[in-house]
Amino acid sequence: MYIQELSLRSYRNYDQLSLSFDHKINVIIGENAQGKTNLMEAIYVLAFARSHRTPRDKELIQWDAEYGKIKGSIFKRNRRFPLEIVLSNKGKKAKLNHIEQKRLSDYIGALNVVMFAPEDLNLVKGSPQVRRRFIDMEIGQIQPTYIYHLGQYQKILRQRNHLLKELQRKREADLTMLRVLTDQLIEHAATIVDRRFRFLQLLREWATPIHEGISRNLEQLEIAYDASVKVSEAMDLETLKSTYQEKFTDIETKEVERGTTLAGPHRDDLVFFVNGKDVQTYGSQGQQRTTALSLKLAEIELIHSEVGEYPILLLDDVLSELDDYRQSHLLHTIQGKVQTFVSTTSIDGIEHDALKEAEIFHVKEGTIDVQK
Amino acid sequence: MYYPEPISKLIDSFTKLPGIGPKTAVRLAFFVLEMEEDDVLDFAKSLVNAKRELTHCSTCGHITDQDPCSICQDESRDPTLICVVQDPKDVIAMEKMKDFRGKYHVLHGAISPMDGIGPEDINVPSLINRLKDEGVEELILATNPNIEGEATAMYISRLVKPSGIRMTRIAHGLPVGGDLEYADEVTLSKALEGRREL
Ligand SMILES: Nc1ncnc2c1ncn2[C@@H]1O[C@H](COP(=O)(O)OP(=O)(O)OP(=O)(O)O)[C@@H](O)[C@H]1O
Ligand SMILES: [Mg+2]
Ligand SMILES: [Zn+2]
Repeated sequence: MYIQELSLRSYRNYDQLSLSFDHKINVIIGENAQGKTNLMEAIYVLAFARSHRTPRDKELIQWDAEYGKIKGSIFKRNRRFPLEIVLSNKGKKAKLNHIEQKRLSDYIGALNVVMFAPEDLNLVKGSPQVRRRFIDMEIGQIQPTYIYHLGQYQKILRQRNHLLKELQRKREADLTMLRVLTDQLIEHAATIVDRRFRFLQLLREWATPIHEGISRNLEQLEIAYDASVKVSEAMDLETLKSTYQEKFTDIETKEVERGTTLAGPHRDDLVFFVNGKDVQTYGSQGQQRTTALSLKLAEIELIHSEVGEYPILLLDDVLSELDDYRQSHLLHTIQGKVQTFVSTTSIDGIEHDALKEAEIFHVKEGTIDVQK
Repeated sequence: MYYPEPISKLIDSFTKLPGIGPKTAVRLAFFVLEMEEDDVLDFAKSLVNAKRELTHCSTCGHITDQDPCSICQDESRDPTLICVVQDPKDVIAMEKMKDFRGKYHVLHGAISPMDGIGPEDINVPSLINRLKDEGVEELILATNPNIEGEATAMYISRLVKPSGIRMTRIAHGLPVGGDLEYADEVTLSKALEGRREL
């Protein structure tokens, strides 16, 4: 799939913008703070209806403007269709093929995007939250109903935490409502973990050989799921539920004492091993980067195998962070198959045949010129 | 935009209604100015009377101008079957389809710890009392199919279970996350057929 046209209205530092893109490689060149990331972000928002940088939609609207708009023309499965996101202080609207979608899960997945930015090099080193977000967004875009379960889970979790706070204060606790919310939580927790397990199995299939390739057969990558409850990938949905049920029964008193939910997918994490050693603890910076790169490349292949088409790849300022060998490995993998956006302050550090055929865009203070 | 005070006040009143934005409010206000004076007086009276003369039925919680309400007084209805709903509007929606011959219990809300609403803040205690006195054999839990409505149904079912009263939950045909009041009569009718045992 690829994005043919993009138009922006009052988005970040873009007042008004309308661009056509190359189906293969688009390079966005500009000094710092000119709008490179903003452009990449707009494509990301078109896919996920939220930014990768901020949870606050308001920041995306140009200062002083009432609303902002992103419109894209997508080509996927031999069909062309428009996507539109309208952001305003009152909330956002998402339109697929001109029709407003009331549920996020009906919108997400229409456009598949993989973003690789410098902060993704932190995937291994960063907080568990970064890894949970990675896995949640990736499952979400190939399985939109996952987003529904995640949303329900978060709502129930909020209710449950409020009740636990209340019970913590009261002491003469009626636990009936807590148990109701526990049952509700488990329904979605089990589904979420089940989907995560199945996603990890796919991810491993792609990531292991890719990692071997980047490391010139020197490194073996393993990915493990670190759960707050003793669940395993061999369990079916019913076993997952009963395992959660047992755990929540065990920790009920403790949860009331602490006034918060102490187990569930919102507390789980991913662990990466290279040659049997935990990369987060023992890996060199290079190994951590290779791991992040393998995961991103695996994602591209995984989406291709699940959706039937390659996603759009956004490489924001990240090529120059990779050494020559990793750079060419990356560019070689995507060559010709994946519509790619590369942003950089200077094209000098990037040397590859693929870039010769690229469409070049120059960004300056929120305006873009196409290089002829 | 500047309007004379009586019009501004009227516009302001209309915007308090659900689904009415500022533009519609202005249109309605100017429409009222064009209406016959008698019609306007009737309208104003109806508004005040609806508020003053309607109370909640002391048995089932439905809105009524007499207590107990006409449904509770109707002896042709099956008193052993009670349908539990969140809102008076749900009773009206169910009554429209004319299939249901039992009685109702209106909770006036759903349990939501986040909003500080516990079981005692809605009509759960009065439901439990009713079950003790009235020889009820079956409860249909028709709370909204969202998280709070679902939790409320589960809560009631946990409380009532030991009594051996049969309980079913309306489960099918309703939009996920939707509100019962938006369901059309056909879906509601299907929902009632497809109720599942709890
Ligand atoms: N809501 C907004 N309205 C107007 N301008 C904004 C808004 N949000 C950010 N900006 C401006 O956008 C510019 C940053 O753009 P962007 O992050 O795309 O830079 P960049 O080209 O990626 O730079 P770098 O090379 O440093 O990453 C800043 O000058 C910032 O002031
Ligand atoms: Mg940037
Ligand atoms: Zn009544």
